[in-house]
Amino acid sequence: MLFNSYTFIVFFAVLLALHRMPFSWQTKKLNLLLASYLFYAVWNPPFILLLWISTLVDFFVGKKLYYEENKRKRKVLLLVSLVANLGMLGYFKYGSFLLENFTALCAAVGIDYQAPAASIILPVGISFYTFQTLSYTLDMYKKRSLPEHSVLDFSLFVTFFPQLVAGPIVRPNELLPQFKVPRVATRQQMLNGLFLLSLGLFMKVVMADSMLSSSADTVFGATQALLPGDAWLGVLAFSGQIFFDFAGYSTCAIGIASCLGFSLPDNFRYPYAAVGFSDFWRRWHITLSTWLRDYLYVPLGGNRKGAGRTYINLMLTMLLGGLWHGASWTFVAWGGLHGLYLCVERLLRRKTPTPPAAVTEEVVETYPEPTPVVTQTASFAPAFMRTKTVNLFFGALLTFFLINVTWVFFRAQDFGTAWRLLGSMFGLNEGGAAVLTNLAMIKVALVTLLLFTSHWLLRNTSVLAVASKLKWWMVGAAWAVLIILLILSQDSSSSFIYFQF
Amino acid sequence: MSNNHSMKAGVLALVMVFAFLVSWELYWRSQGYSINYDDGKVLWADKRARVYEPSDKTTVFIGSSRIKFDLDIPTWERLTGDEAVQLAMEGNSPLPILEDLAADEKFKGKLVIDVTEGLFFAARSNRDKEPGENIQYYKERTPSQKASFQVSRLLESRLVMLDQDYLSLNGLLDRCGIPPRAGVFQMPYFPPEFSHNTFDRQSIIQPRFLTDTNLQKQVTGNWLMFAEMAKKQPPPTKDDIMHVFNTVRDQVAKIRSRGGQVIFVRTPSSGPFWEMESKVMPREKLWDPLLAITQTPGIHFKDHPETSNYSCPEWSHLAHKDAIDYTRHLVNHIEQKGWQFRNKPASLSFINH
Repeated sequence: MLFNSYTFIVFFAVLLALHRMPFSWQTKKLNLLLASYLFYAVWNPPFILLLWISTLVDFFVGKKLYYEENKRKRKVLLLVSLVANLGMLGYFKYGSFLLENFTALCAAVGIDYQAPAASIILPVGISFYTFQTLSYTLDMYKKRSLPEHSVLDFSLFVTFFPQLVAGPIVRPNELLPQFKVPRVATRQQMLNGLFLLSLGLFMKVVMADSMLSSSADTVFGATQALLPGDAWLGVLAFSGQIFFDFAGYSTCAIGIASCLGFSLPDNFRYPYAAVGFSDFWRRWHITLSTWLRDYLYVPLGGNRKGAGRTYINLMLTMLLGGLWHGASWTFVAWGGLHGLYLCVERLLRRKTPTPPAAVTEEVVETYPEPTPVVTQTASFAPAFMRTKTVNLFFGALLTFFLINVTWVFFRAQDFGTAWRLLGSMFGLNEGGAAVLTNLAMIKVALVTLLLFTSHWLLRNTSVLAVASKLKWWMVGAAWAVLIILLILSQDSSSSFIYFQF
Repeated sequence: MSNNHSMKAGVLALVMVFAFLVSWELYWRSQGYSINYDDGKVLWADKRARVYEPSDKTTVFIGSSRIKFDLDIPTWERLTGDEAVQLAMEGNSPLPILEDLAADEKFKGKLVIDVTEGLFFAARSNRDKEPGENIQYYKERTPSQKASFQVSRLLESRLVMLDQDYLSLNGLLDRCGIPPRAGVFQMPYFPPEFSHNTFDRQSIIQPRFLTDTNLQKQVTGNWLMFAEMAKKQPPPTKDDIMHVFNTVRDQVAKIRSRGGQVIFVRTPSSGPFWEMESKVMPREKLWDPLLAITQTPGIHFKDHPETSNYSCPEWSHLAHKDAIDYTRHLVNHIEQKGWQFRNKPASLSFINH
């Protein structure tokens, strides 16, 4: 079920009414669980089985893992969970990709192997809930937190509908404790939640779908070389689209959870105002980057095994992070480019003096994640970027420019398209074509300007904090404009991009 | 936000949104707008699902825009007792949809194929995208999307402002007069008075369009622009045309082998459009061989005096009153070709003939 659908409005209104009725907390949790299953099942009912398998395996294996002392048995139990979770993810998400590559490899060594035609449907959100349940099992293995004894609470942790299909990816210690005490939203939580839900839908429906998606589709769908202006505007359109789409979903999820009395972690903190790439990853898809940090980068050794290993670990983490997004080498290239950026940035940072205010990597690696106050001063960016506001601004612009280059690989359907588009962006192709209309160019330019400016102005604060400082009538008027534009956009059929991941 | 601050902001937002929506709806109604359903893939998929209604009670129509304007669905349903399922798509060839229906073993019903030669015989790759998207959407519709459609239908049937073509944010921006960019194709603008879509996917020319020659010129100008564009494309070769004949023959044979019935229809055009069509795409080269090769009956509007002299307001589609008249004749002509409508009201049999 899409948040931007009429069905969801009805579903959420009924659920909210049930949640505020004088039922026992156990009954309310059961309502939430059944609603979450319904929310998921209306996409493709049979895939609900995968959720159940994931839930049951991790509930029982997790508990045993925590209490088991025999090292060998612990490893076997961990393996059971990894095989069950990553096996399903591997089959559904990477099955066709692996088969294609195996066939290509066979052909390369002269073996004529024809893979059987595979038509595997990707279950919505499988990458998200797999990582969420895995974090529980891995925490049990490391004995980072206590095991969950209630099947109901654990099932709800795996399936909680606001964040089930596209995050934020929530850690066990962030969500499970919230199921222990009765929760009904206060009036303030309800109003904040509704405001965030309106804002998230506005980001998705108005900005991503109505303003930007068609320009991005036109440019990335072009089969010829383009004029540099068209190529850049197409990439900027996608840059805005992916942010508004994904951050819009997260904002909706946080808002919906708030209306039910729950709190979910931030997933985006104005990433296009990032100065440097480690700063970017502390602002973009925060719950994935911290997951990769805690369950991949740090176990690989992080920065504790010397400079060389640190760079290798960074690259490995980012390459796998890229592959997490999709079964294609273009996603791996996207991750690789980010890994490369992080390595270069780290190298630059080591060669330039570090001001006292900068946060060290040891702090960044501390679990749980850094607080917002730390985030605003923390940056791996070279020192020259962090001294004056004007330098910071140009640092943010440079980062934004380089991030846009990475989006080419993320969005292009193949490397041919990516290279052609990069060639067009940098004027390397002769005889480029114009494909965007004047109206499309104006829309992309205005939205990009608005996007970058708002990220820059809000980089150290939050929407709710800003709203609380404004006069009530200004907030009310802005809220009304969001809803009116949302209704005028009238597009309620587009899926969120991140569902496919 | 503090409790009181948020509450006041929320109430103000609600009041403003409500006031805006009421004013917005009343304003567009005062401008003469009426209910116009979004004729996108969602509505198309709803109709596609109806082809399985009992085959003796349903007739499916595929084609391009002409059959959408020229078939008056209430008249058809009144005269035949059959439900008309309209699957034609504006500006598109019916061939991808014919292939979809032919491949669907469950479809065994009656099929009317509207032939607009310029689209029917056009290069396939250019014409498959939109029908392909509709077919894919139909096949992949989720229960949630089906439920959303029901709510959407309810709202669209009551609110003029939900006219996605003209009153959505992008519809309004398209009308704000930003000039086209040289060298970039931009879909020409069709005035809202040109057509409205009903829930059955019938397109109806609005009364104001019939009396406003400026609006008519705007649309005929669009046709001339499309004709100029078509001139720049290489014309289909003999092999291309033969390929279309053979493909259609095979698809029609599949439907017939399951007990289905198929008929071709050439709906009216007039003025310079008809002159151009009959010169560039003469029936001797396309229409007649199509019927012969596929061994399928066909009804050409020029073959019947009662349908041969309509004047289309913009050369290509019938005014609503003519569509009612044409549909009445079409039912007769189809019956003369041997089709039977088992649910035809007995009281109308006499009048119709």
